[in-house]
Amino acid sequence: MATMEREKLLEVKNLKKHFKVDRKAVLKAVDDVSFDIYKGETLGLVGESGCGKSTTGRTIIRLYEATDGEVLYEGKNVHGKKSARELKEFNRKMQMIFQDPYASLNPRMTVKDIIAEGIDIHRLAKNSKERNERVYELLETVGLNKDHANRYPHEFSGGQRQRIGIARALAVDPDFIIADEPISALDVSIQAQVVNLLMKLQKERGLTYLFIAHDLSMVKHISDRVGVMYLGNLVELAGSDELYEEPLHPYTQALLSAIPVPDPEVERSRERIILEGDLPSPINPPSGCRFRTRCPHAMDVCARVNPKWQEAREGHWVACHLYDQEFNKEGK
Amino acid sequence: MEKLLELKNVHVSFHTYGGEVKAVRGVSFHLEKGESLAIVGESGSGKSVTSKAVMRLLPNKTSEIKEGQILFEGKDLARLPEKGMEKIRGKEISMIFQDPMTSLNPTMTIGKQIMEGLRKHQNMSKSEAQERAINLLKLVGIPNPEIRIKEYPHQFSGGMRQRVVIAIALACNPKVLIADEPTTALDVTIQAQILDLMRDLQKKTGTAIILITHDLGVVANLAQRVAVMYGGTIVETGTVDEIFYNPKHPYTWGLLSSMPKLNAESKELLAIPGTPPDLLNPPKGCPFAARCPHAMQVCLNHMPESTKVSSTHQAACWLLDERAPKVEPPEAALVGGAR
Ligand SMILES: Nc1ncnc2c1ncn2[C@@H]1O[C@H](COP(=O)(O)OP(=O)(O)O)[C@@H](O)[C@H]1O
Ligand SMILES: Nc1ncnc2c1ncn2[C@@H]1O[C@H](COP(=O)(O)OP(=O)(O)O)[C@@H](O)[C@H]1O
Ligand SMILES: [Mg+2]
Ligand SMILES: [Mg+2]
Repeated sequence: MATMEREKLLEVKNLKKHFKVDRKAVLKAVDDVSFDIYKGETLGLVGESGCGKSTTGRTIIRLYEATDGEVLYEGKNVHGKKSARELKEFNRKMQMIFQDPYASLNPRMTVKDIIAEGIDIHRLAKNSKERNERVYELLETVGLNKDHANRYPHEFSGGQRQRIGIARALAVDPDFIIADEPISALDVSIQAQVVNLLMKLQKERGLTYLFIAHDLSMVKHISDRVGVMYLGNLVELAGSDELYEEPLHPYTQALLSAIPVPDPEVERSRERIILEGDLPSPINPPSGCRFRTRCPHAMDVCARVNPKWQEAREGHWVACHLYDQEFNKEGK
Repeated sequence: MEKLLELKNVHVSFHTYGGEVKAVRGVSFHLEKGESLAIVGESGSGKSVTSKAVMRLLPNKTSEIKEGQILFEGKDLARLPEKGMEKIRGKEISMIFQDPMTSLNPTMTIGKQIMEGLRKHQNMSKSEAQERAINLLKLVGIPNPEIRIKEYPHQFSGGMRQRVVIAIALACNPKVLIADEPTTALDVTIQAQILDLMRDLQKKTGTAIILITHDLGVVANLAQRVAVMYGGTIVETGTVDEIFYNPKHPYTWGLLSSMPKLNAESKELLAIPGTPPDLLNPPKGCPFAARCPHAMQVCLNHMPESTKVSSTHQAACWLLDERAPKVEPPEAALVGGAR
């Protein structure tokens, strides 16, 4: 795979984010997650709600302080003590687009001021004429027009608001964008518009994306590589075609088999892996492998030992005892 | 086949400050005994309003069924007094919603909530109703039902709550179950469980299902027939195979093309440009004309009539008129078997 020679933009190393929920209990929202993101790629992050996707994204971008582990951006630690200048620079390079275009736009600000907020903070425009021009250009880039500049968010449809959110993120000329469920609140026909826009922008500007979503078919469509999370752990990571064609982790297999395909013939003949039961609580996760309570292949060792995060094939990472060579050698 | 429920030219409007919102504009379809019909379309197309009209759950003061008939076993539900409707709602026709919490009472145990309908409609004694409640929870796959009937909704996970809601809806053996986006709020592995459950229950009970959804995967999974809604109208109906493999309406083409297909090669999705019509001022002609790549002059001025494609398949599009040019669906709209 070409990823070998590609340059790393972001390195996430043993990242942990734990939330104190009361005096005794700790919720391990993200627990020892490691992966890299290469320059210019889209890394998809999937998994069911509550598995820690947003927390991972928010911790990477410093919206949350990490409990442990490191995030390196172009080799520089994102967390820890920073000078004001360094902080500002990280904040400019890394931007976030949110799921809910309604909640993430200030209803009392005009579209122009929303988009220009970052331009002002980072002093990217010399005067108000330049500021206006930049805003108009951005509106055009995302498929809106300058007549929209003086309106307020409530005057727009969901898809248009998401475009405004994208324009705001682009305003500061970032290199890396975390898109947290950017299309989940939109209709199918509008989702396609926004996804096409994100892909076009990536091509034009060489952007790198972390694309978080629970819609697996859209994630496959947009991502070069995809990571799968379960209860705060990354359980598998591979090139998107490989992941969808040859998933290794039993959870990935179940997740993929659960997606209903828009093809009645396929649906009629399909064998599904239906997972039993519900997601366990992240406050009291199962010992060993967190998936073992729902895993159709669970073995004794799974309750005892946390599976290692290992490269089972080139560029294909998995945390599962089924692929544990040492373990297999021992003869179970 | 026996028509269990039939809507004929149903119009529903809301009276708002801004004026009359014509949410449903001449909807006709029928439901056969024991079948599952999916109503698919994007948000605001009138799916929920149509189903609430059937259940007569629309706000009395601000909404109105202006025209049309909703025939259920010979009765017109559109004009039935509330008294008569109470005997049908929850007993003959039940409904479940996207968010199970909207139909559950947070202050009442699950058991009480299931038993309520049974005691009201079926005159059961308390112990009979309790036994039936436990059996229903078993039927919908909730473990330890004897214990769980004493618990409150917040003690259940999202997927388990939707199971409880399904149990309540099925308590009186309804002939029709209307499920409005029943799995939209659920994760995909839980969705698979619930869809499986619904199919299983339908086999066991023979209940006819109207499944409302925006997800074509869910449609392909559960439905036998499909009605595609757009801008308050039904633009196409057919068997599930007709809709996926031989779609005739450009909006159906658009829906099929904007979905990524897991096995597709192409990198660009064919998005439908623009946004749906404003139902305060609905267009005079075809509701899809403004976004349709094939729109002709006639489409802007005249609402197309429903045209028969087969005995089970019809579409409301001027392209089906014999005078119209021949247009093929885009490549991206072709699903598996249609290729
Ligand atoms: N600020 C917070 N305080 C406490 N718990 C949180 C907070 N944010 C998220 N969590 C919990 O962390 C877990 C992971 O959440 P999240 O990252 O939002 O998952 P996802 O985005 O995959 O749905 C969930 O159990 C969630 O309830
Ligand atoms: N209570 C209401 N008052 C005014 N308009 C309404 C009301 N409920 C629904 N509508 C309008 O009716 C149309 C159809 O809505 P609905 O049936 O909920 O769509 P969906 O297909 O997403 O279920 C929408 O334009 C919506 O804004
Ligand atoms: Mg999230
Ligand atoms: Mg609805």
